Amino acid sequence: MFDTVEAFYRPGTVGEALRLLQNGKNRARFVAGGTDLVVEADQSIRCLIDITHAGLSYIRRRGKAWVIGATTSMAAMENSPAIRALAGGILARAAATCGSVQIRNMATLGGNLANGSPAADTATPLLALDAEVVLADARGRRKIPLTEFYSGRRKTKALIVEVAIPAMPRGGRWSFQKLGRTESDISLVNAAAGLQLDSQGRAKWVRIALGAVAPTPIRAVNAEKLLTGRKVDESALAVVCDEAARETRPITDVRASAEYRRETCRVLVRRALEECAGGTGCSL
Amino acid sequence: MKTMEVRLTVNGEAKQWTIAPGDLLLDVLRREGYFGVKRGCESGECGACTVLIGGTPINSCLMFAAQAEGSEVLTIEGLGHGDKLDPLQEAFLDHGAVQCGFCTPAMILNAKALLNRKPHPSEEEVREALAGTYCRCTGYRKPVEAVLAAANRGGRKPRLRAAPAARREATR
Repeated sequence: MFDTVEAFYRPGTVGEALRLLQNGKNRARFVAGGTDLVVEADQSIRCLIDITHAGLSYIRRRGKAWVIGATTSMAAMENSPAIRALAGGILARAAATCGSVQIRNMATLGGNLANGSPAADTATPLLALDAEVVLADARGRRKIPLTEFYSGRRKTKALIVEVAIPAMPRGGRWSFQKLGRTESDISLVNAAAGLQLDSQGRAKWVRIALGAVAPTPIRAVNAEKLLTGRKVDESALAVVCDEAARETRPITDVRASAEYRRETCRVLVRRALEECAGGTGCSL
Repeated sequence: MKTMEVRLTVNGEAKQWTIAPGDLLLDVLRREGYFGVKRGCESGECGACTVLIGGTPINSCLMFAAQAEGSEVLTIEGLGHGDKLDPLQEAFLDHGAVQCGFCTPAMILNAKALLNRKPHPSEEEVREALAGTYCRCTGYRKPVEAVLAAANRGGRKPRLRAAPAARREATR
Protein backbone atom coordinates (compact mmCIF):
# COMPACT_ATOMS: atom_id res chain seq x y z
CA MET A 1 0.00 0.00 0.00
CA PHE A 2 2.96 2.30 0.71
CA ASP A 3 5.16 1.10 -2.15
CA THR A 4 6.34 4.62 -2.88
CA VAL A 5 7.97 5.09 0.55
CA GLU A 6 11.76 5.17 0.19
CA ALA A 7 12.89 5.85 3.74
CA PHE A 8 11.68 5.31 7.29
CA TYR A 9 13.29 7.27 10.14
CA ARG A 10 12.95 7.00 13.91
CA PRO A 11 14.44 10.23 15.27
CA GLY A 12 15.25 10.44 18.98
CA THR A 13 14.61 14.18 19.32
CA VAL A 14 12.21 16.84 18.07
CA GLY A 15 15.10 18.72 16.43
CA GLU A 16 16.13 15.70 14.42
CA ALA A 17 12.51 15.05 13.42
CA LEU A 18 12.17 18.61 12.13
CA ARG A 19 15.42 18.38 10.13
CA LEU A 20 14.21 15.16 8.52
CA LEU A 21 10.91 16.81 7.63
CA GLN A 22 12.72 19.70 5.99
CA ASN A 23 15.05 17.38 4.06
CA GLY A 24 12.08 15.40 2.83
CA LYS A 25 10.71 18.46 1.03
CA ASN A 26 6.96 17.99 0.68
CA ARG A 27 7.18 14.24 0.40
CA ALA A 28 7.90 13.54 4.09
CA ARG A 29 5.28 12.92 6.75
CA PHE A 30 5.34 12.42 10.49
CA VAL A 31 3.78 9.22 11.77
CA ALA A 32 2.99 8.12 15.33
CA GLY A 33 0.01 5.81 15.93
CA GLY A 34 -0.68 5.54 12.22
CA THR A 35 -4.42 5.06 12.74
CA ASP A 36 -5.30 7.96 10.41
CA LEU A 37 -2.21 8.16 8.20
CA VAL A 38 -2.27 4.50 7.13
CA VAL A 39 -5.97 4.59 6.31
CA GLU A 40 -5.48 7.79 4.30
CA ALA A 41 -2.89 5.87 2.16
CA ASP A 42 -1.39 9.00 0.58
CA GLN A 43 0.62 7.79 -2.42
CA SER A 44 2.79 10.91 -2.56
CA ILE A 45 4.66 10.03 0.65
CA ARG A 46 8.33 9.17 0.04
CA CYS A 47 9.63 9.44 3.57
CA LEU A 48 8.10 8.52 6.93
CA ILE A 49 9.34 9.99 10.20
CA ASP A 50 8.22 8.02 13.27
CA ILE A 51 8.10 10.49 16.17
CA THR A 52 7.18 7.96 18.87
CA HIS A 53 10.81 7.86 20.08
CA ALA A 54 11.27 11.64 20.18
CA GLY A 55 10.45 11.89 23.89
CA LEU A 56 6.91 13.18 23.45
CA SER A 57 4.99 10.55 25.47
CA TYR A 58 4.31 12.10 28.87
CA ILE A 59 1.68 13.57 31.17
CA ARG A 60 3.26 16.12 33.49
CA ARG A 61 2.44 18.92 35.86
CA ARG A 62 4.18 22.17 34.93
CA GLY A 63 3.47 24.95 37.41
CA LYS A 64 -0.32 25.06 37.65
CA ALA A 65 -0.82 23.56 34.19
CA TRP A 66 -0.95 19.99 32.96
CA VAL A 67 1.02 19.23 29.83
CA ILE A 68 0.52 16.18 27.65
CA GLY A 69 3.12 15.14 25.08
CA ALA A 70 1.93 14.77 21.49
CA THR A 71 2.60 11.04 21.20
CA THR A 72 0.75 10.17 24.42
CA SER A 73 -1.76 7.47 23.50
CA MET A 74 -5.49 7.58 24.12
CA ALA A 75 -5.02 4.56 26.41
CA ALA A 76 -2.39 6.41 28.45
CA MET A 77 -4.76 9.36 28.92
CA GLU A 78 -7.80 7.30 29.85
CA ASN A 79 -5.74 5.34 32.41
CA SER A 80 -3.87 8.30 33.87
CA PRO A 81 -5.04 9.12 37.42
CA ALA A 82 -4.14 12.77 36.78
CA ILE A 83 -6.19 13.05 33.60
CA ARG A 84 -9.07 11.12 35.18
CA ALA A 85 -9.10 13.62 38.03
CA LEU A 86 -8.69 16.70 35.83
CA ALA A 87 -11.93 18.64 35.21
CA GLY A 88 -14.25 15.80 36.10
CA GLY A 89 -12.25 13.50 33.83
CA ILE A 90 -13.78 14.88 30.60
CA LEU A 91 -10.58 14.43 28.61
CA ALA A 92 -10.01 10.89 29.92
CA ARG A 93 -13.60 10.06 29.10
CA ALA A 94 -13.30 11.41 25.57
CA ALA A 95 -10.07 9.45 25.03
CA ALA A 96 -11.83 6.29 26.24
CA THR A 97 -14.43 6.61 23.45
CA CYS A 98 -11.85 7.12 20.72
CA GLY A 99 -12.11 3.74 18.96
CA SER A 100 -11.47 0.15 20.03
CA VAL A 101 -8.92 -0.99 22.60
CA GLN A 102 -6.37 -1.63 19.84
CA ILE A 103 -6.94 1.79 18.26
CA ARG A 104 -6.65 3.54 21.63
CA ASN A 105 -3.35 1.78 22.27
CA MET A 106 -2.01 3.25 19.03
CA ALA A 107 -3.76 6.58 18.42
CA THR A 108 -2.11 9.65 19.93
CA LEU A 109 -3.31 13.01 21.20
CA GLY A 110 -1.15 14.92 18.70
CA GLY A 111 -2.47 12.81 15.85
CA ASN A 112 -6.07 13.33 16.91
CA LEU A 113 -5.54 17.10 16.61
CA ALA A 114 -3.20 17.10 13.59
CA ASN A 115 -5.57 14.96 11.55
CA GLY A 116 -7.94 17.92 11.77
CA SER A 117 -11.19 16.00 11.86
CA PRO A 118 -14.14 18.06 13.14
CA ALA A 119 -15.17 14.91 15.04
CA ALA A 120 -11.86 14.53 16.93
CA ASP A 121 -13.03 13.37 20.34
CA THR A 122 -10.26 14.96 22.41
CA ALA A 123 -10.60 18.37 20.75
CA THR A 124 -13.98 19.19 22.29
CA PRO A 125 -12.95 18.78 25.95
CA LEU A 126 -9.64 20.51 25.19
CA LEU A 127 -11.52 23.54 23.80
CA ALA A 128 -13.65 23.64 26.96
CA LEU A 129 -10.41 23.48 28.97
CA ASP A 130 -8.84 26.49 27.16
CA ALA A 131 -6.01 24.23 25.99
CA GLU A 132 -2.98 25.57 24.18
CA VAL A 133 -0.87 23.74 21.61
CA VAL A 134 2.92 23.94 21.50
CA LEU A 135 4.17 23.78 17.91
CA ALA A 136 7.76 23.42 16.74
CA ASP A 137 9.27 24.18 13.36
CA ALA A 138 12.69 25.21 12.02
CA ARG A 139 12.27 28.70 13.49
CA GLY A 140 11.56 27.48 17.01
CA ARG A 141 8.64 26.78 19.31
CA ARG A 142 5.45 28.71 19.84
CA LYS A 143 2.38 28.22 21.95
CA ILE A 144 -1.02 29.03 20.49
CA PRO A 145 -4.59 28.57 21.71
CA LEU A 146 -6.28 25.45 20.32
CA THR A 147 -8.89 27.70 18.66
CA GLU A 148 -6.12 29.41 16.70
CA PHE A 149 -4.56 26.04 15.82
CA TYR A 150 -7.80 25.07 14.12
CA SER A 151 -8.24 28.33 12.24
CA GLY A 152 -4.70 28.19 10.81
CA ARG A 153 -4.10 24.48 10.56
CA ARG A 154 -3.79 24.13 6.79
CA LYS A 155 -1.08 26.75 6.58
CA THR A 156 1.33 25.29 9.10
CA LYS A 157 4.06 22.72 8.58
CA ALA A 158 4.95 22.46 12.22
CA LEU A 159 5.11 19.53 14.62
CA ILE A 160 2.74 19.39 17.57
CA VAL A 161 5.01 18.95 20.59
CA GLU A 162 2.53 19.04 23.43
CA VAL A 163 -0.84 20.28 24.65
CA ALA A 164 -1.02 22.46 27.75
CA ILE A 165 -4.10 22.71 29.96
CA PRO A 166 -4.06 25.74 32.27
CA ALA A 167 -5.44 25.77 35.80
CA MET A 168 -9.24 25.76 35.71
CA PRO A 169 -11.59 27.88 37.88
CA ARG A 170 -12.17 26.61 41.41
CA GLY A 171 -15.27 24.50 41.86
CA GLY A 172 -15.64 23.92 38.11
CA ARG A 173 -18.28 21.43 37.02
CA TRP A 174 -17.80 19.47 33.84
CA SER A 175 -19.45 17.23 31.30
CA PHE A 176 -18.55 15.40 28.10
CA GLN A 177 -21.35 14.07 25.90
CA LYS A 178 -21.01 12.02 22.75
CA LEU A 179 -23.40 10.41 20.35
CA GLY A 180 -22.03 7.74 18.02
CA ARG A 181 -23.44 4.51 16.60
CA THR A 182 -21.59 2.58 19.27
CA GLU A 183 -19.59 3.56 22.34
CA SER A 184 -16.31 3.49 20.49
CA ASP A 185 -17.46 4.76 17.09
CA ILE A 186 -16.68 8.17 15.60
CA SER A 187 -18.82 10.98 17.00
CA LEU A 188 -21.93 12.00 15.08
CA VAL A 189 -21.95 14.94 17.47
CA ASN A 190 -20.08 15.56 20.71
CA ALA A 191 -20.13 18.34 23.27
CA ALA A 192 -18.17 19.39 26.33
CA ALA A 193 -19.15 21.94 28.92
CA GLY A 194 -17.61 23.61 31.95
CA LEU A 195 -19.43 25.76 34.50
CA GLN A 196 -18.47 27.77 37.54
CA LEU A 197 -21.38 29.00 39.65
CA ASP A 198 -21.37 31.94 42.06
CA SER A 199 -22.84 31.77 45.58
CA GLN A 200 -26.31 32.62 44.19
CA GLY A 201 -26.15 29.74 41.71
CA ARG A 202 -25.58 31.99 38.72
CA ALA A 203 -23.13 30.97 36.00
CA LYS A 204 -19.93 32.93 36.55
CA TRP A 205 -17.77 31.18 33.97
CA VAL A 206 -19.05 29.09 31.06
CA ARG A 207 -17.45 26.94 28.40
CA ILE A 208 -19.41 25.11 25.70
CA ALA A 209 -17.51 23.25 22.99
CA LEU A 210 -18.99 21.29 20.10
CA GLY A 211 -17.61 18.62 17.79
CA ALA A 212 -18.67 17.30 14.37
CA VAL A 213 -21.09 20.17 13.73
CA ALA A 214 -18.79 22.58 11.84
CA PRO A 215 -15.65 22.38 9.67
CA THR A 216 -13.60 22.28 12.90
CA PRO A 217 -14.46 21.67 16.56
CA ILE A 218 -15.83 24.99 17.86
CA ARG A 219 -16.63 26.97 21.00
CA ALA A 220 -20.26 28.11 21.15
CA VAL A 221 -19.23 31.57 22.33
CA ASN A 222 -22.62 33.24 21.91
CA ALA A 223 -24.31 30.53 23.94
CA GLU A 224 -21.60 30.89 26.60
CA LYS A 225 -22.26 34.66 26.80
CA LEU A 226 -26.02 34.11 27.05
CA LEU A 227 -25.62 31.85 30.06
CA THR A 228 -23.03 33.94 31.88
CA GLY A 229 -24.61 35.75 34.83
CA ARG A 230 -27.81 33.69 34.68
CA LYS A 231 -29.19 30.91 36.83
CA VAL A 232 -29.03 27.58 35.03
CA ASP A 233 -32.80 27.04 35.01
CA GLU A 234 -35.26 25.80 32.42
CA SER A 235 -35.73 29.13 30.67
CA ALA A 236 -31.98 29.76 30.45
CA LEU A 237 -31.31 26.24 29.16
CA ALA A 238 -33.91 26.60 26.40
CA VAL A 239 -32.37 29.84 25.12
CA VAL A 240 -28.76 28.73 25.49
CA CYS A 241 -29.24 25.38 23.76
CA ASP A 242 -31.07 27.03 20.86
CA GLU A 243 -28.22 29.51 20.52
CA ALA A 244 -25.59 26.75 20.59
CA ALA A 245 -27.45 24.90 17.83
CA ARG A 246 -27.58 28.16 15.81
CA GLU A 247 -23.80 28.49 16.06
CA THR A 248 -23.25 25.18 14.29
CA ARG A 249 -22.60 24.71 10.57
CA PRO A 250 -23.15 20.97 10.21
CA ILE A 251 -22.96 18.97 7.02
CA THR A 252 -24.99 16.06 5.75
CA ASP A 253 -22.92 12.94 5.17
CA VAL A 254 -23.22 9.16 5.26
CA ARG A 255 -23.49 9.18 9.07
CA ALA A 256 -26.13 11.85 9.68
CA SER A 257 -27.99 14.76 8.12
CA ALA A 258 -27.20 18.36 8.96
CA GLU A 259 -30.66 18.76 10.53
CA TYR A 260 -30.12 15.71 12.73
CA ARG A 261 -26.71 16.95 13.83
CA ARG A 262 -28.06 20.38 14.73
CA GLU A 263 -30.94 18.93 16.74
CA THR A 264 -28.64 16.42 18.45
CA CYS A 265 -26.27 19.23 19.32
CA ARG A 266 -29.12 21.04 21.09
CA VAL A 267 -29.85 17.88 23.10
CA LEU A 268 -26.22 17.18 24.00
CA VAL A 269 -25.58 20.77 25.13
CA ARG A 270 -28.64 20.51 27.36
CA ARG A 271 -27.48 17.21 28.83
CA ALA A 272 -24.00 18.62 29.37
CA LEU A 273 -25.22 21.78 31.12
CA GLU A 274 -27.73 19.82 33.20
CA GLU A 275 -24.98 17.46 34.29
CA CYS A 276 -22.74 20.40 35.19
CA ALA A 277 -25.52 22.21 37.06
CA GLY A 278 -26.53 19.00 38.81
CA GLY A 279 -23.33 19.38 40.72
CA THR A 280 -21.87 15.96 40.22
CA GLY A 281 -20.02 16.73 37.00
CA CYS A 282 -19.03 13.71 34.99
CA SER A 283 -16.81 11.10 36.42
CA LEU A 284 -15.30 7.92 35.11
CA MET B 1 13.00 -0.93 -4.42
CA LYS B 2 14.71 0.43 -1.31
CA THR B 3 14.97 -2.00 1.59
CA MET B 4 15.93 -1.87 5.25
CA GLU B 5 16.49 -4.31 8.09
CA VAL B 6 14.19 -4.74 11.07
CA ARG B 7 15.17 -6.66 14.21
CA LEU B 8 12.46 -7.83 16.55
CA THR B 9 11.31 -10.76 18.67
CA VAL B 10 8.35 -12.80 17.48
CA ASN B 11 6.88 -15.34 19.89
CA GLY B 12 10.13 -15.34 21.83
CA GLU B 13 12.39 -15.88 18.80
CA ALA B 14 14.80 -13.18 17.64
CA LYS B 15 14.24 -12.27 13.99
CA GLN B 16 15.95 -10.05 11.47
CA TRP B 17 14.01 -9.36 8.31
CA THR B 18 14.60 -7.32 5.19
CA ILE B 19 11.60 -5.11 4.60
CA ALA B 20 10.55 -2.18 2.43
CA PRO B 21 10.31 1.10 4.40
CA GLY B 22 6.58 1.30 3.68
CA ASP B 23 5.73 -2.31 4.58
CA LEU B 24 2.95 -2.78 7.11
CA LEU B 25 3.51 -5.16 10.01
CA LEU B 26 0.52 -7.29 8.94
CA ASP B 27 2.03 -7.92 5.50
CA VAL B 28 5.48 -8.76 6.87
CA LEU B 29 4.14 -11.17 9.52
CA ARG B 30 2.07 -13.05 6.94
CA ARG B 31 4.96 -13.07 4.47
CA GLU B 32 7.05 -14.71 7.21
CA GLY B 33 4.40 -17.39 7.73
CA TYR B 34 2.42 -16.12 10.71
CA PHE B 35 -0.94 -16.83 9.11
CA GLY B 36 -2.77 -16.60 12.43
CA VAL B 37 -2.52 -12.85 11.85
CA LYS B 38 -5.58 -12.36 9.65
CA ARG B 39 -6.02 -9.87 6.84
CA GLY B 40 -9.48 -8.41 7.27
CA CYS B 41 -10.57 -4.85 6.58
CA GLU B 42 -7.03 -3.38 6.46
CA SER B 43 -8.33 -0.14 7.94
CA GLY B 44 -8.37 -0.74 11.69
CA GLU B 45 -12.07 -1.56 11.92
CA CYS B 46 -12.32 -5.34 12.26
CA GLY B 47 -9.39 -6.16 14.53
CA ALA B 48 -8.66 -9.53 12.86
CA CYS B 49 -4.98 -8.57 12.43
CA THR B 50 -4.46 -7.99 16.19
CA VAL B 51 -1.07 -8.90 17.65
CA LEU B 52 0.40 -8.02 21.04
CA ILE B 53 3.39 -5.68 21.10
CA GLY B 54 5.03 -5.73 24.50
CA GLY B 55 1.79 -7.27 25.79
CA THR B 56 -0.44 -4.53 24.31
CA PRO B 57 -2.97 -5.33 21.57
CA ILE B 58 -2.64 -3.30 18.38
CA ASN B 59 -3.96 -3.58 14.82
CA SER B 60 -1.00 -4.77 12.74
CA CYS B 61 -2.65 -3.40 9.58
CA LEU B 62 -2.11 0.15 10.89
CA MET B 63 1.49 -0.22 12.02
CA PHE B 64 4.54 0.04 9.82
CA ALA B 65 6.84 -2.96 10.18
CA ALA B 66 9.73 -0.55 10.73
CA GLN B 67 7.96 0.68 13.88
CA ALA B 68 8.27 -2.82 15.40
CA GLU B 69 12.07 -2.50 15.55
CA GLY B 70 13.26 -3.82 18.92
CA SER B 71 9.82 -4.86 20.10
CA GLU B 72 8.38 -8.15 21.31
CA VAL B 73 5.55 -9.36 19.12
CA LEU B 74 3.17 -12.11 20.19
CA THR B 75 0.92 -13.79 17.60
CA ILE B 76 -1.54 -16.60 18.22
CA GLU B 77 1.15 -19.07 17.08
CA GLY B 78 3.19 -18.16 20.14
CA LEU B 79 0.48 -18.69 22.74
CA GLY B 80 0.50 -22.47 23.24
CA HIS B 81 3.55 -24.69 23.74
CA GLY B 82 3.55 -27.58 21.26
CA ASP B 83 0.48 -29.68 22.00
CA LYS B 84 -0.25 -27.80 25.19
CA LEU B 85 -2.75 -25.03 24.54
CA ASP B 86 -3.08 -21.82 26.51
CA PRO B 87 -5.96 -21.95 29.04
CA LEU B 88 -7.75 -19.34 26.93
CA GLN B 89 -7.50 -21.54 23.85
CA GLU B 90 -8.81 -24.50 25.90
CA ALA B 91 -11.69 -22.37 27.14
CA PHE B 92 -12.62 -21.28 23.60
CA LEU B 93 -12.76 -24.95 22.56
CA ASP B 94 -14.70 -26.02 25.67
CA HIS B 95 -17.30 -23.31 25.14
CA GLY B 96 -17.69 -23.74 21.39
CA ALA B 97 -16.59 -20.12 21.06
CA VAL B 98 -15.15 -20.72 17.58
CA GLN B 99 -17.34 -20.62 14.50
CA CYS B 100 -15.50 -19.94 11.24
CA GLY B 101 -12.44 -19.09 13.32
CA PHE B 102 -11.28 -16.06 11.36
CA CYS B 103 -11.57 -13.65 14.31
CA THR B 104 -10.54 -16.19 16.95
CA PRO B 105 -6.81 -15.35 17.10
CA ALA B 106 -7.65 -11.68 17.64
CA MET B 107 -10.33 -12.47 20.24
CA ILE B 108 -7.91 -14.68 22.18
CA LEU B 109 -4.99 -12.23 21.99
CA ASN B 110 -7.16 -9.34 23.17
CA ALA B 111 -8.43 -11.54 26.00
CA LYS B 112 -4.85 -12.57 26.83
CA ALA B 113 -3.79 -8.94 27.18
CA LEU B 114 -6.78 -8.27 29.43
CA LEU B 115 -6.15 -11.27 31.70
CA ASN B 116 -2.44 -10.41 31.98
CA ARG B 117 -3.42 -6.96 33.20
CA LYS B 118 -6.49 -8.01 35.14
CA PRO B 119 -6.74 -11.73 36.05
CA HIS B 120 -10.38 -11.52 37.22
CA PRO B 121 -12.20 -9.09 34.94
CA SER B 122 -15.90 -8.31 35.05
CA GLU B 123 -18.15 -9.25 32.15
CA GLU B 124 -18.21 -5.58 31.12
CA GLU B 125 -14.43 -5.50 30.99
CA VAL B 126 -14.34 -8.65 28.86
CA ARG B 127 -16.86 -7.17 26.44
CA GLU B 128 -14.84 -3.96 26.25
CA ALA B 129 -11.66 -5.93 25.51
CA LEU B 130 -13.36 -7.88 22.72
CA ALA B 131 -15.22 -4.89 21.26
CA GLY B 132 -12.46 -4.14 18.75
CA THR B 133 -12.74 -7.56 17.11
CA TYR B 134 -15.62 -8.18 14.75
CA CYS B 135 -17.06 -11.68 14.45
CA ARG B 136 -19.10 -11.81 11.26
CA CYS B 137 -20.57 -15.15 12.34
CA THR B 138 -21.92 -12.84 15.10
CA GLY B 139 -20.91 -15.21 17.88
CA TYR B 140 -20.03 -12.82 20.68
CA ARG B 141 -21.68 -14.50 23.61
CA LYS B 142 -19.60 -17.66 23.76
CA PRO B 143 -16.24 -15.88 23.51
CA VAL B 144 -17.28 -13.77 26.51
CA GLU B 145 -18.23 -16.96 28.41
CA ALA B 146 -14.93 -18.56 27.43
CA VAL B 147 -12.82 -15.63 28.65
CA LEU B 148 -14.70 -15.47 31.94
CA ALA B 149 -14.29 -19.23 32.35
CA ALA B 150 -10.55 -19.03 31.66
CA ALA B 151 -10.30 -16.27 34.27
CA ASN B 152 -12.22 -18.36 36.81
CA ARG B 153 -10.59 -21.66 35.94
CA GLY B 154 -11.48 -24.20 38.62
CA GLY B 155 -14.09 -21.87 40.02
CA ARG B 156 -17.81 -21.79 39.39
CA LYS B 157 -19.28 -21.48 35.92
CA PRO B 158 -19.61 -17.83 34.98
CA ARG B 159 -23.12 -16.43 34.88
CA LEU B 160 -23.76 -13.95 32.13
CA ARG B 161 -26.36 -11.27 32.26
CA ALA B 162 -29.51 -12.32 30.43
CA ALA B 163 -29.45 -11.53 26.74
CA PRO B 164 -32.48 -9.67 25.36
CA ALA B 165 -34.97 -12.19 23.92
CA ALA B 166 -34.49 -11.05 20.32
CA ARG B 167 -30.73 -11.34 20.52
CA ARG B 168 -30.92 -14.75 22.16
CA GLU B 169 -33.06 -15.94 19.27
CA ALA B 170 -30.61 -14.61 16.71
CA THR B 171 -27.61 -16.37 18.20
CA ARG B 172 -29.17 -19.80 18.28
